[in-house]
This record gives sequence, C-alpha cells and structure tokens, in this order.
Amino acid sequence: MGEKQEEAVGAIKLQLVGIAFMACWLLHGQSQDSLSRYKKKVLETVEVDMLMSYYEQEGRHAAVTGGLGNEELTDYSPTIVVRVPINEDAILTADVGISAYTSASSSNGNPFNRSGASYANTNSESPRGSAPARPPQGSPWYASTGASAKDVLTTLNLTYRQASDERNAYWGINLGGSTEWDYESLSIGGSYAKLWNEKNTEFTASAQLFIDRWKPVIPTELHEYELFNETFLYNENSYFSGVSILDEQGNSVASYLPSNFSSYSFTHRNSYAVSLGISQIITPKLQGAFFTDLVVQQGLLSNPLQRVYFQDRPNFFVGNYQTLGTYSDPSNRDLFHLADDVERLPSKRVKLPIGGRLNYYINENLVLRSYLRHYQDDWGIRSTTLQIEGPYRFDLSWKMTPIYRYYSQTASSHFAPYDQHLSSAAFYTSDYDLSGFNAQQWGLSLSYRAVLSQISLFDFGLKSAQIRAQNYSRSDGLKAFIVSTAFRFVLD
Amino acid sequence: MKTVNFIPLCLASFLLAGCMVVKEYNKVAINDEDMQLSAVDCERFETNFQIYREAAAGANGGKTGGGCGCN
Repeated sequence: MGEKQEEAVGAIKLQLVGIAFMACWLLHGQSQDSLSRYKKKVLETVEVDMLMSYYEQEGRHAAVTGGLGNEELTDYSPTIVVRVPINEDAILTADVGISAYTSASSSNGNPFNRSGASYANTNSESPRGSAPARPPQGSPWYASTGASAKDVLTTLNLTYRQASDERNAYWGINLGGSTEWDYESLSIGGSYAKLWNEKNTEFTASAQLFIDRWKPVIPTELHEYELFNETFLYNENSYFSGVSILDEQGNSVASYLPSNFSSYSFTHRNSYAVSLGISQIITPKLQGAFFTDLVVQQGLLSNPLQRVYFQDRPNFFVGNYQTLGTYSDPSNRDLFHLADDVERLPSKRVKLPIGGRLNYYINENLVLRSYLRHYQDDWGIRSTTLQIEGPYRFDLSWKMTPIYRYYSQTASSHFAPYDQHLSSAAFYTSDYDLSGFNAQQWGLSLSYRAVLSQISLFDFGLKSAQIRAQNYSRSDGLKAFIVSTAFRFVLD
Repeated sequence: MKTVNFIPLCLASFLLAGCMVVKEYNKVAINDEDMQLSAVDCERFETNFQIYREAAAGANGGKTGGGCGCN
C-alpha cells in the first residue's frame, strides 16, 4: 500500500514537472510571438520644429561692383519643419521656409536709382530716354533702391523615409523647390542607409539632382548696351541718353563700349551630387563618420549681376569727377565706375569634398564634437575646415555649447581683384568668395530640453529649445553675425 | 596634399575599429543626443551662409551645393 502511494506521488510529481515544463515552453513561445509582433515606431508622434535665423554682414569687396564696395546684407529666415509618422515604419517630412534679405551690393545692379547715393539731394529720377535734371550719381559704397535691393527666397522640401522591420535599413526620397527673383530650382533625390555589425557600423548613400534656372539680371549699363548696341549712349530711349560719361581725365566722352559683353546663350544650371558615408562606433564612448561627395555642376555657373573691370581697358565713370582720387574709399558717394563685363566662369565644375566627424563622450556632463573637411575642385580651389564643439550639460534640462570653426581656401584660378583682369582672358571674376582667404567662426549655443513637457502651444508640448549665436570673421575684412533659434514641439 | 594622404590612413584605422562590437546595453554614452554624427538643427542656417560666403561645400552629411545662386 505504501509502495503504491509512493509510486502515485512520484507519477503526480512527474506530471506536474511535465505540465510546468510545457507551460514554460508555451509561455516562452507566446512571449517570443509578442516580441516579434512588437515594433517600436520610428517616430512616436507628430513633431514640429519652428526655426528662425537672423544674419548680417559687412565688408568692402562687393562682387556686384567688381570686388570693391559695400557688402552690407541682412537676412531673416523663418522656417517650419513638420514630421508626421505615416505608420510604424515611415515618416513624411515637410520643410517650408522663407529667406527675406536686403543687400547693399545687390541693389547696385542699378546704382543710379533714386535714394541713397543716387541723385544726391534730390528725390527725382529721370524716366528712360529723358535727360535728367541733375546727372545721375551712384557709388559702390552706398545702397541704391534697385529692384535687387531686397528679395524673398521661398523653399519647400518634402521627404519620405521608410525603415525596415529590423530597423537596420532605411531608404528615402525627397522632392524640393525654391524660387527667388532671379533664380529658381527644382530638386529630386534618394537615399539608402544600412546598419550591420550589431548596429555598430552604418553605410549611407544618396544621390541628388538640382535643375536650376537663372532669370539673368545684369548691371544697368550692360543691360542698355544689350538693348541698343553701339547706340546705347545716345539713343533717346536709352537710360544713358543725355548722361555725361567721363573718362579718367574727367572729359565727357562717347567712347565707352563694353564690347566684351554678350548675351547669355543659356541660363540653366544643373547639379548632380552623389554622397557616400560610413559611420562606426569605435568604443562605448567614441564614434566617428566619414563622408564624401562627388558634385558635378553644368550650365551658367557665374552670377550675371557681378561686374568685372579690365586693367587693359580705359575706365569710364558717371558722377562727380572730383571724387576719382577717392573712388576706392567708402566716403565716395557720387562716382560710379561703368562695367567692362560681367563675370565669366567655366560652364562645368567638379567638386570633391571629403570630411569626417569624431565625437567623444568625456563624461555625463561633457561631450567633444569635432569635424574636419578637405575640399578641392577643378577651378583651383582647395580648402580645409575644422570645427570643434563642446556641449556642457549643467543638469537634465540645460546645456551650453562653445563652438569654434576654422576655414581656409586658396583662390580660384579665375579670380583677380578689382580692375586687375585682362580682357583677353576666357574666364574672370572679382567675387571675393572665390578668392584666397581664411575665416574664423566662434560662438555659443544654449539648449533647453523639457524632461516633462510643461509648456504647450495648442496641442503641442515643447520638447526642446535652442539659441545659437556665431561671429564670423574673414581675412579679407568681411564680418558677419548670425543668431538662430530652434523650438521643437511634439503632439501631446 | 598632406590632408589627402592622411585621409586613407584615418579611413583604414576607422574600419579596423569595426572589428570590435559595442553591445546595445553598452551604448548609453553613444546614444547621447550630443554624440549624434549629424549637424544640430540650428546649424543648417550657418551651413547655408557658408555655402554663399565660401567656395567649399558638402561632405557633412547634408547640403552639397546646388539649388541656389551660390558657390
């Protein structure tokens, strides 16, 4: 009897162990099923970024007036970026912005307009073809009120990005466009990213096509020459009818003829860009990335509004001859040098930048971010860029980041300063953006991260905010300042 | 040119580092927002003015040039 009872208990124990084992197996299987079904969304909810920047600059080498003149410019750029999760795997991003600028140099496409330096002490402007009551006066140092004095650039970009189920591959497409008074652009592109090595290594590839078109606006004197050819100084319908053109001795002459100028036979500018990148986690506190682009541009690569003066051609002026000795001084407000041509640049350019980032996590308060780039192109420009940032976190919410950037470039083989080009050259520009210089940029960023969102706008809670201010100083004397802000809101 | 010669060396060292794998549970520092290998939101405006004021552009995982009357 006792033996039978022990056998029965043993059998029950075995059954219980078997049932427990099966239960564990079933539960394990169920949890595996639920794990395989669960996918973290690539974006949990709608995000809205409200961005803004204010930029100003000043300098003495305005390209519109041949490498000499006032470069004052201000720009205000509000932008909104909206990211919408389409499903668990995909995000649609809309990026809409405007850039409203005023520019002293651009205004001098026609330096003889009514305010500023033009028509000093008068408010009258002679209509086309009638002799002015007073001679027109302009200066490369004062802003005119030409149509190009201010403008708005409007941009729209749409991006769709899709992730794989395992979140180790991403692909995307984007469409974009922009328009301003003398330029418009359409763009299309695609990208692919693949992660492997337990997501320690990532490869990215993208291609982008820009189909751009100039609506050429050329300096007034060349515009009239284009309209009336050799008769442009005395044709009664010309802007210069009745206007005294002065030579270097102050004599009124009729020999000014910008014969190098010819109308543009094409106005398109296409850019083809292929970008490759690879990033790698090196240690638990160190990661880096390499990027390279191959960019080929074709078409009208010069700016039709930028004047050039030749040293081997006589100089002609409009305005007060007494100012000739101080033409290159900012005190000149009544003498303007008439152009020999606009800048001419090759219709093809190949750019090859190679860059890398290396970020090191020093401790929970401090990270070191660095960026280095080498660039070269077939216009003779080589450049090096170095940027270092050190985000320092005070607490969970507040962070301050000092920023320093150094940049240097060699001059393009097509560049020469004001009045230094030869008329026999095929290509020429006096745009100091293509000259040899170095530049330093430094500034500070202050960031706030809402740990528990308390500030709301409609149904959106503030997630983060940032303000970033930078000074920029170029060795040719150009100085700039930019302040930008970014606020990120998420749908509650 | 020294910079150009230096880059393949950096790239080779960089790829060799890929032999080591940092596990997910060990990526606390790597996942810090400041460790991300992309520009911060506000930097787009700085990149934009630099594309106008400087001849070089690209190789930053972002804008390469094109789409504006810039350099």
